[in-house]
Amino acid sequence: VAPTRMAQQTYKAKKKAAEGGHRLLKKKADALKMKFRDYAKAIAETKSGMSSDASSAFFSLTQAEYAAGNFKQKVAEGSMSARIRIGGSVDNVAGVKLPVFTKYDTGAVADNQSLGLIGGGKKIVAVREKFTILLDKLIRLASLQTSFVTLDEAIKITNRRVNALECVTIPKIENLLKYIERELDELEREDFTRLKLVKKKKEVTQKLEDAAKAERIA
Amino acid sequence: MTTPKPVQGNSDFTTFNIRHGFPEALVRGMRSSFLADSDYNHLIQCETLDDVRLNLTETDYADSIADFNSITPAMLQKAAVEKLVTEFTYLRTQTVQPLSAFMDFITYEYMIENIMLLLKGALSGRDINELLEQCHPLGMFKDSTMRSIPTFENSAKGYSDLYTTVLVDTPVGPYFSKFLQESSVHRGTSSRNVLEEVEIEIIKSSLIKFWLEDFYNFCYSMGGDTGEIMCDILKVRADTNAINITLNSFGTPLNEPGMRTSDRKRLYPAVGYLYPEGTMLLADVSDEEEMGRVLEAFPTYSALWSIHANGSGDKSIDDAFYERDVHKLELAFENQFHFGCFYAYVKLKEQEIRNLVWITECILQQQKDEIDKFVLVFSQNSAWRK
Repeated sequence: VAPTRMAQQTYKAKKKAAEGGHRLLKKKADALKMKFRDYAKAIAETKSGMSSDASSAFFSLTQAEYAAGNFKQKVAEGSMSARIRIGGSVDNVAGVKLPVFTKYDTGAVADNQSLGLIGGGKKIVAVREKFTILLDKLIRLASLQTSFVTLDEAIKITNRRVNALECVTIPKIENLLKYIERELDELEREDFTRLKLVKKKKEVTQKLEDAAKAERIA
Repeated sequence: MTTPKPVQGNSDFTTFNIRHGFPEALVRGMRSSFLADSDYNHLIQCETLDDVRLNLTETDYADSIADFNSITPAMLQKAAVEKLVTEFTYLRTQTVQPLSAFMDFITYEYMIENIMLLLKGALSGRDINELLEQCHPLGMFKDSTMRSIPTFENSAKGYSDLYTTVLVDTPVGPYFSKFLQESSVHRGTSSRNVLEEVEIEIIKSSLIKFWLEDFYNFCYSMGGDTGEIMCDILKVRADTNAINITLNSFGTPLNEPGMRTSDRKRLYPAVGYLYPEGTMLLADVSDEEEMGRVLEAFPTYSALWSIHANGSGDKSIDDAFYERDVHKLELAFENQFHFGCFYAYVKLKEQEIRNLVWITECILQQQKDEIDKFVLVFSQNSAWRK
């Protein structure tokens, strides 16, 4: 790197840009961390709620089987049309795109409506309801968890960038700037010393010339 | 000297034992294999499924579960059903007519269910072997017949072919033909489209209805004690079906006014204490209140209905029906020289299997407070014995 004033200006500008970028990235990292904590809390809540929902849903299945006989195979072997579908969309959080799942009702008529016709119909209806609730929670949990994982990745990347700026780029630029300063000072001093020497020599020559001139006149 | 020909005609207490004494003795022996109150108490107190297994080795189920190291509710159910089927086939081979015809009637119910399962599976294109494994073992046909059911194409012509070649040879063929006839008359379309349009459960309900009526006529023609006891039991069964169909149709397309008279009414069996006035009224019922009013005219059913209407927390109407069934079936064992005990044996064993599965599932899912919601069989502590 040539230690010139121009280089010094360039690198000063670079340092300013780096520091500005560093500040922005830190803000982004903080925002992401906050969102991360929120997601973690929501996931913990949903998970704990789900465990009791899941057990009650499966127990209602047991009750329905007691009342209506084994209808699991009838449902599994029959044809099914999806009543609930999941749509994937993207949510923007502090510049990070997070995947989110939303539930869509296709409005298709429920199959197997007359499943418990000769017995246990009410229990089967209860099973349907309980599992729908469970499905809701499951979709939410899935959505939260995928966002969580993506957010985690994004935070890691951002932190890496912040650290890189902090520990690598900016010190490098600062070192460069210091080096240029020193060199410039050094050059100035060199110049200064050279000028002094030249001046001295000039004075000596001038003295000799003056002495020679004075002799000729006398 | 040749032995004289056995006496034909209705067996009463003087002639019953000539032909049916041995099977009845067998059935009564098997009656003692039911789990007793003390067994159930031990089972309820188990903490894990291994405890359950330990306790079961002291009962009649010891052999069935001897091969397993650890049991799950599904495995237990399978083993118990197989035990029942072994006992049933053994009984069946010891019988002569007309008892063998009677026992065959019992199996038709399971055949209907199996056919429905196969048809439904065929519609969705499942693998035949998987389907065969899930068929109820009491209702199996010849292997060839069963394998050919799903191979028919899923089209209108396919169904009518299926019917004319396969189903017509099975014992439940006549029920199918009656169903197709009735539907085509009713809908005015050819019989081919019916199997596609109508929901499988409704077909099954109609077939069960025809089976009940057939069985009832058979028992009635036998006369004597068999006729008396079995007809009573079947009437109760028919009424249970009618009430359940009505109750469970609320909220489904079957409850719409147009469908009620046309489709729902046709599902009510033509036997039973509710027939004909009750079923006429039930056909028009559109919600639970109306149903309560209709059932008030029949004291036993209004008592059951009030259980459903009042306590939907503790007991459901299905539990009430199960209790009543068990009561009636146990009474069938109190009398001798009739066929009712065979039917009662199968049904009560089924209830026992249900109880066992319920208990093991409760233990598995740690739902200890619900564990005693089952119906004891042959118990001195039954509510109706007090």
